[in-house]
Amino acid sequence: MIVVGGGHNGLVAAGYLSRAGLRTLVLERRERLGGAADTVELEPGVRVPAVAHTVGRLRPAIVRDLRLSDWRLSLVQPEVRVFAPQPDGAAITLWGDPLRTAAELRAGSPSDADAYLALDRQIRVLSGFLARLLSLTPPDLRSPSLGDALGGLRLGLGFRGLARSDARLLLRALPMPVADYVGGSFRDPAIAAAIAARGIQYTGMGPRAPGTTAVLLTDSAGTEAGAAGQAVFARGGPGALAEALANAVRGAGGEIRTGARVEWITSRDGRATGVALESGEEIGARAVVSGADPKRTLLDLVEPSVLGPSLAWRVGNLRAEGAIAKVNLCLSGLPRFSGDTLEDGERRIRGRIVVAPGIDALERAADDAKYGRLSEVPYLEATIPSLLDPGLVPEGRHVLSVIVQYAPYRLADGGWDARREQLGDRVIATLERYAPGIGGLVTARQILTPLDLERDYGMTGGHPYHLEPGLDQMFAWRPLLGFAAYRMPLERLYLCGAGAHPGGGITGAPGANAAREVIHDLRGRR
Amino acid sequence: MTERYDAIVIGGGHNGLTTAAYLARAGWRILVLERRHVVGGAAVTEEVLPGYRFSVCSYVVSLLRPEIIRDLDLARHGLEILPLDGTFTPLHEGYLWRTNDHSHTLRELRRWSRSDAEAYEEYGRLMLEMARFVKPILSIVPPDPTGLDPRPLLPLAGLVRQFTRLPEDQRAVFVQLMTMSAADFLDQWFETDALKATMSASGIIGTFLGIRSPGTAYVLLHHYMGEIDGAFRAWGIPRGGTGAISEAIASAARAHGAQIRTEAPVARILVRGGRATGVALESGEEIEAGLVASSVDPHLTFLRFLEPDALEPAFLSEIRRYTFRGSSGKVNLALDGLPEFTSLPGPGEHLRGAISISPSIEYMERAYDDAKYGRYSRRPYVDIVIPTLVDPSMAPPGKHVMSCFVQYAPYQLAEGPQAWDEQREAFGDSVVAAIAEFAPGLPGLIVGRQVLTPLDLEREFGLTGGNIFQGELSLEQLFFNRPVPGWARYRTPLRGLWMCGSATHPGGGIMGAPGRLAALEILRSRGLGDRIRELTSVGGPGSGEEAAA
Repeated sequence: MIVVGGGHNGLVAAGYLSRAGLRTLVLERRERLGGAADTVELEPGVRVPAVAHTVGRLRPAIVRDLRLSDWRLSLVQPEVRVFAPQPDGAAITLWGDPLRTAAELRAGSPSDADAYLALDRQIRVLSGFLARLLSLTPPDLRSPSLGDALGGLRLGLGFRGLARSDARLLLRALPMPVADYVGGSFRDPAIAAAIAARGIQYTGMGPRAPGTTAVLLTDSAGTEAGAAGQAVFARGGPGALAEALANAVRGAGGEIRTGARVEWITSRDGRATGVALESGEEIGARAVVSGADPKRTLLDLVEPSVLGPSLAWRVGNLRAEGAIAKVNLCLSGLPRFSGDTLEDGERRIRGRIVVAPGIDALERAADDAKYGRLSEVPYLEATIPSLLDPGLVPEGRHVLSVIVQYAPYRLADGGWDARREQLGDRVIATLERYAPGIGGLVTARQILTPLDLERDYGMTGGHPYHLEPGLDQMFAWRPLLGFAAYRMPLERLYLCGAGAHPGGGITGAPGANAAREVIHDLRGRR
Repeated sequence: MTERYDAIVIGGGHNGLTTAAYLARAGWRILVLERRHVVGGAAVTEEVLPGYRFSVCSYVVSLLRPEIIRDLDLARHGLEILPLDGTFTPLHEGYLWRTNDHSHTLRELRRWSRSDAEAYEEYGRLMLEMARFVKPILSIVPPDPTGLDPRPLLPLAGLVRQFTRLPEDQRAVFVQLMTMSAADFLDQWFETDALKATMSASGIIGTFLGIRSPGTAYVLLHHYMGEIDGAFRAWGIPRGGTGAISEAIASAARAHGAQIRTEAPVARILVRGGRATGVALESGEEIEAGLVASSVDPHLTFLRFLEPDALEPAFLSEIRRYTFRGSSGKVNLALDGLPEFTSLPGPGEHLRGAISISPSIEYMERAYDDAKYGRYSRRPYVDIVIPTLVDPSMAPPGKHVMSCFVQYAPYQLAEGPQAWDEQREAFGDSVVAAIAEFAPGLPGLIVGRQVLTPLDLEREFGLTGGNIFQGELSLEQLFFNRPVPGWARYRTPLRGLWMCGSATHPGGGIMGAPGRLAALEILRSRGLGDRIRELTSVGGPGSGEEAAA
């Protein structure tokens, strides 16, 4: 077995393949494993999550199956999930405990407190149903077979397991704009925005785009997080997850090589036979499993004649341009956010700090991206992982990790290399409104534009989810209708990354699902 | 009153009239009650200015179901549809002009992009295939996928079977049509900005979405589904304006014995013993009937015409959640002569079709951005038709009428909907100015104008929220979710009360399909399923016969 790419999904796939007794080799182009689950040292002794910063969506079954705790994976989650500071100095706090959140909201508006509890319950029910889909191989609409029919039946039975009113709600909610799904319930738009922001996270869509409710519910699926969402950190940063996964792979007999760039996937008679490295070395394998994005996998690594013009056209049209950037800051001390009162200490800012002052503000940020511009006032999701994990920094220091939207991959004028510092400045200026003086604390910064995500992390189009999580690129048609069951058009080539169902984020689910299909195919023919 | 009817139809719009005509044809005693002085609802022709007749609201027809034209013999009742040809998009530099003459269109497109011209043919073929596959959905009574009764799912199963028989490329395109934005969908084929902007404009009509909003691609198919007298893809305007369609259906209904009363506004629906037994008019008159079919929107039907205790709170809260965000306005102009477009001066064939003010994707998106924040578009998308060029009877000799459909005009202005009364004329001016950018002489030709804001559509035509489709045609409000989940089969939770308007599947536009499907479903509920075959030339709802054709 060869796994192309040592991102977290590639490592998960390799872990399962090795455990099944298949000789597995992971080939990673970069020197560090983990892909977007990466920890970097920005200053001596100061480590930050490079791209992703929370890992709460990692499937518990994977942690269990690969015994990641034995490989020193340690997850921590604060009581607080979201702290949403507002321009007027107030703030919304969403706690892990919905009753605590509601109790705080009740002071401002009793109806909003009730609405929060109702929405929280609804999100738990609907995302609980969607959680079943995460570990399911989507039905292959190309040739509906008995297996697919059974899968469909299981899906249907799960559907029937929902109360009828909930089933109807789900059918209606999925295509809705998150602004309508969440926004309709609350008098205070700040609460709506703090919740709705997860519906646009990592996408190029604004909250009024149909389908963003599906993103919110998918993000909630399998996390038991309800309306507040998760805020789980890996001790040592996301890179620690990559290390634990790598150890699990090696522990099960798998092999991992870094600095090994795959140049192309070799094939004979329509069947993948191995890979050729940049160095010229060729390695044979019974199957190739790619954790790279669908465009890189099918357009760059596979010979064009394998796809044929029509399929190549479809792959070329996949929507893979991202609108996300990352800014990481080393701080000389802890920033003070307005609304985080002194008696609270720093308890409110240990989770995700969401800078989203209203649905309209999010929509306006998305508008800029439509015209190829960095948002004038970007939407930010920041975390201070050093609060829960002091080992990341020398004493007294802190790091702030900021996901920035919208930073469209394709700018109307100029390129990202000339705009990098402007991006950093704009993020600090935006933060300054909510945490006055934060700019003065910055001792070093790292800025990752969409172009950097493409160049450094190999995500075509700079999309951290590989493909835009729109209604047109999910489930049975992710990445493409007819190829959603992890099997690619080249026999014995599989896709195990975020471009496959159930999509992006640190879940490990595409990797685990793909490995299951590989094992099924190889066992079936042995 | 001692008169007793088998059914009362609330609202004399084209759907209400269609329901009435089908039920009357089955031998039922039918009464249609229309609030205004004229039937037709939004499909109405009125002489607003002396000598100038406007299709006041809806202005073209493309999806009027051919089975209705046949079943009700509308040609005999005076319906004649005059074809419109082509779409002309004036630009600051040049123009884009597509017509039914394929070779002309390809020559035109080649001026802009060789690859677009090539793709256009392939795209057209594919869309035609898709339209053939999708069209039967318009004639299906939506099943309830959460229901326990598998029988209504059968027509759906037939569709699924057909879906699996499509070539893979077409299956993928079908999924894209159901999920993508019109602009993203077209990006796959074309590069010419004005072409994509103009084509995708059909996807936003009547919605509160932009051409880059997911879910707008599907409407691209409508253009290919349009059929008149069996001619695939044609579209046009009825001689005498869209009111002529309503007149023809009303005439057919009357011929089968239906009574139609205008200026008879309904005040409430009478409920006795847990079922609808008739209506009370605003005049106080009460009229009894075996059942009531409402073609007005769910807001009026359930929240205005019924006491709150007549329905379950859960159902009412679903109805309250049904969204109506109106986004369109209409400006009707009486002209002294024909407008002249700078990029293609003089009168000519290009004025005989649609004229689309949609110069670029960015123009369209910025128009949408204004609406999102509660303003009418400073530079709106305008879909223009000059009906007098194909039907001179609409104006005095040598004069013209010009129908301008405008987006976006959000019902909910930042200052509230009532602010429309102060902004009406400024809105009208901005529409004229947007056209005048490409036809500078237009303002000098205007001898009169009628400006309809969403607030006017609500007040005058009973369209809640000014929504021209009686509720948004957004993904979550389509098919088995229209108007609300569980009640998409024209029935309501109140026995004896039915829905037959655009708020039911398959939705708005001059289609007549909701009115027809509701009538057939009503007959079926009375054990008259056998009669359906006699009443309709292509089988009953969801018979699947059309799918097989």
